[in-house]
Amino acid sequence: MIEFYHVSKQYVKDQYALQDISLGIQKGEFVFLTGASGAGKTTLLKLIFKEELPSRGQILVDSGNINLIPQKELYLLRREIGIVFQDFKLLGNRTVAENIAIPLVVRGERKSAIDKMVGKALNQVGLTHRKNYLPTHISGGEQQRVAIARAIVGNPKIIIADEPTGNLDTELSIEIFKIFEKINANGITTIIATHDLHLMNMFPKRTIRLDKGKLASSGQKEVTL
Amino acid sequence: MNLLKSTLINAVKNIARNKLINFLSFGIIAFTLLIFGIFNYLTFSLETFTDNFSKNIEAIFYFNEDVDQAEIDILLGELKGNLLVEDVTFNSKSQAEIIFSRQFPELRYILSEFKKSPFPASIEVKFKQGYNVGPKVIALIEDIEKLSIIESKQVNLDWAQKVMAIKKFISLVGIFLSLILIFVSAFIIFNVIKLNIFYRKEEITIFRLVGAADWYIKVPFIVEGALLGLFGSVMAGGLLFITLKLFPAYATFMYSIFKDMVDFRNIPVIIFVRLVLLGTGIGLLSSYISVKQFLKN
Repeated sequence: MIEFYHVSKQYVKDQYALQDISLGIQKGEFVFLTGASGAGKTTLLKLIFKEELPSRGQILVDSGNINLIPQKELYLLRREIGIVFQDFKLLGNRTVAENIAIPLVVRGERKSAIDKMVGKALNQVGLTHRKNYLPTHISGGEQQRVAIARAIVGNPKIIIADEPTGNLDTELSIEIFKIFEKINANGITTIIATHDLHLMNMFPKRTIRLDKGKLASSGQKEVTL
Repeated sequence: MNLLKSTLINAVKNIARNKLINFLSFGIIAFTLLIFGIFNYLTFSLETFTDNFSKNIEAIFYFNEDVDQAEIDILLGELKGNLLVEDVTFNSKSQAEIIFSRQFPELRYILSEFKKSPFPASIEVKFKQGYNVGPKVIALIEDIEKLSIIESKQVNLDWAQKVMAIKKFISLVGIFLSLILIFVSAFIIFNVIKLNIFYRKEEITIFRLVGAADWYIKVPFIVEGALLGLFGSVMAGGLLFITLKLFPAYATFMYSIFKDMVDFRNIPVIIFVRLVLLGTGIGLLSSYISVKQFLKN
């Protein structure tokens, strides 16, 4: 589903954010991406949805080389990927339902279809009762669930989450990870960047570890206490 | 159809979100376009006036004493074939004497003192009406006057020339001011769109990340600029109408000068159409440039 071939990323000359990364993630896999702050987790995720371009190497997403996707057609790639941010990135002047509907609205979906799909996504994250609330009127955990619902509403093939529990306590974090597990159970490739070892141990999955921009390990169940 | 509708709705929503900035810019655009409209209207009115003025121009050219009939015939032939000339009448020396006697019967006795007619032969030229013939007619009159067979002419061109000089002056001032005001309007719209882009930066980022096409993000800003220009120009048209209605009442001295030249009752549709097209065009172009500059991929 996702393949990296000798990928490097430099923001500054002689300083590598990522260096010679080669890895593969299968369709339907649940993968943790871990490493200390500054290890290159966010950069690696951004390369997948072409928010950043690699300085060297090739990246294939769903068998397509993303280096070859013209800027004008980038939105087609982004529609295949649901993204969840640590800071949620919700629009404060739109209701929960309106925020979740954004990916469908920009695609020009009909209102009836939008209502149906948003309802389904709200149900998946257990927020049906909050659909008419503004994001500022709900808790942090609920805001993150809204962000997840927005990521899954367009039926993406891949879900990417960058430190989705960074701002949440352990109890809420477990809840969020359970939601990701449910999403993954529907066959959606799930990649979560986190440095929370406790949570990774609670949800034993394949773990890709980065260290100072280099691939430290990419095997399964490598997390130990 | 859905996307077109949502693009328009987004553009209107964007205007509604930044009410203060958009309202202020809308007012300034309307005012600058009003100034443009006033000058455009004055130029248009004077153009129409000078065009109509040419229909009243009649010139009489008096021939030299020793002019040949053949030379007169050549000139008559040329004038009859000229597109600016409606009619040419030749009056010989004896015909001029008859006309004088008919018009001034009490002075007829003076003529008996002369052995032959004291009046020169002449041609009377009437010019065509309509399209922009004023300057061309004046040029033709001057050309005829320069001919060696012509002794003198009788035509009052001073008035026409003065009107045309005023028109030229107003046109030049109008063009100069219009260029400045067009630039001001474009600059305002350019900056309003720039501000709106920065104001909605987070929203744009989210739209991009969830798969919005490039045009879906950019087009509403361009439409927003076009709408600002359109609303501003319609407002300017309304203000122009009111200004022209109030002008005769509040500027009586100026009105007495301009009342024959400018129609204060109605704004010609063409002026309104020009204003709206210009306003919308400025809005479209300046917002397009703003989007191109500040909304890069």
